[in-house]
Amino acid sequence: MTTLELTVRAVDDGFPGIRTLTLARPDGGMLPSFTPGSHLVIECGSSANAYSLTSDSVAPREYVVSVLECPDGSGGSRWIHHELAVGDSVVARPPRSAFSPILRARRHLLVAAGIGITPMVSHLRSAHRWGREVRLLYLHREGRGVYIDEIKAMTDYMQTFTERRTFLHELSSALADQPFGTHLYVCGPAGFMDDTVALAAGLGWPPSRIHLERFGIDALDPGEPFEVTLTDSGDTFVVDSGVSLLEALHARGHDIPNLCRQGVCGECRIPVAGGEILHRDLFLTDADKAAGDTMMSCVSRACGDRLELAL
Amino acid sequence: MKPDLETTSVPAWAAATSQPDADLSGRAWTVVGFGDDAEPIVSAWRTQILGHNAHAAVVVHRVDDDEAAAQAVDADLAGALVGWRLMIAGPADACLRLRAHALRIGVGDDEIVVGSTAVGTRDVLCAHCQARTRAEVGIEDVLPCAGCGRNLLVYYHVSRLKGAYLGFMVDAELVGAP
Repeated sequence: MTTLELTVRAVDDGFPGIRTLTLARPDGGMLPSFTPGSHLVIECGSSANAYSLTSDSVAPREYVVSVLECPDGSGGSRWIHHELAVGDSVVARPPRSAFSPILRARRHLLVAAGIGITPMVSHLRSAHRWGREVRLLYLHREGRGVYIDEIKAMTDYMQTFTERRTFLHELSSALADQPFGTHLYVCGPAGFMDDTVALAAGLGWPPSRIHLERFGIDALDPGEPFEVTLTDSGDTFVVDSGVSLLEALHARGHDIPNLCRQGVCGECRIPVAGGEILHRDLFLTDADKAAGDTMMSCVSRACGDRLELAL
Repeated sequence: MKPDLETTSVPAWAAATSQPDADLSGRAWTVVGFGDDAEPIVSAWRTQILGHNAHAAVVVHRVDDDEAAAQAVDADLAGALVGWRLMIAGPADACLRLRAHALRIGVGDDEIVVGSTAVGTRDVLCAHCQARTRAEVGIEDVLPCAGCGRNLLVYYHVSRLKGAYLGFMVDAELVGAP
């Protein structure tokens, strides 16, 4: 896979717990353009984390990402906060997107909480450039309103909230009163996104108008152990509780492509020949999950005590 | 050999008549019925929606042609909010044409429900002269194009935005054909 070798040009710790990195090629050359809403996957020591790009998306010479420190995460954000300094090199995969603006939309309603504002920033830049109609509702903690100044320069239609109750009240009115043709974009913590989607669905929003950018799954339980048989080799082994199927396959020498390891990116999909699957990812569609012949090995497990994989 | 129509662009309701339930996930509904035969479906939907919410905003239009149907949809949509649903009942060919109109102005597939009262009539678009021929014809049958006279095979493909089947010259490679 193509990777980008980038240099840290600037570090901004202006907001508590949030570090903003400016990255560029060592020679300052042009970087790949990207679709608004894209993220950059940065290799952070042992893990690879996805961060939304907040900089200009057209023929950029810099990539900017803002990273919230997650003390209980896999370590990637801690590494960025505590190890990385100006002048250091990082390796990143080119921007990828599953959260692009729907260009036919009559209006774009952006709803963000906390660091979930980051993918909205490139949406707003693009909307500003092309004159698309946007509305933004932004819930953040007091003193943590990252990007507010930049956003004010791009739109007059931002509402910010530091109180959840007021926010929910305004969100309900906004969802109830959008002209037909509006599309909704949501990013924030999992619970916030679920609540927003439930509210929207209750007000008649169909799935095709709702677009989500997920950070990943909140901590999953370690799961029950189960036995795995590989169809091709007949190899049989047990995946212990607390160990992912992906890790178990790697330990036995199977090279399964993977990236986010949290059920979002879709890289580690493997074919299943038998057994019931406990799907825990956010990538497969409901139809994929119902078909039962494929699974995301990083987070999903067996429903019963065994699985047969077509590997 | 006909493929499983589920894997094609031909909607199930255009292959066999259907009376689906009303879509109760919306907040406002426009119901369009083509002709008297659509009446049972229209009234069943109305009952379902009002049974779900007695104060629901349901507007019913009983129409006889494409133009009236499109005008009704346009008028309702002008002031509509997200949450609006379009429910169409009538012969499949008219439903396909009104669905095409709705899709062209930005209505989503998951905002449209169709109940069909008849499926025998089909619009066939000639791949060669673009003329539209309407006739009682089955998929894989052959009919003469009303525009250029070519013998068109009615293919199992529906243009979503034109609301018609694809027809192409069935004997184009026949040596000695006129």
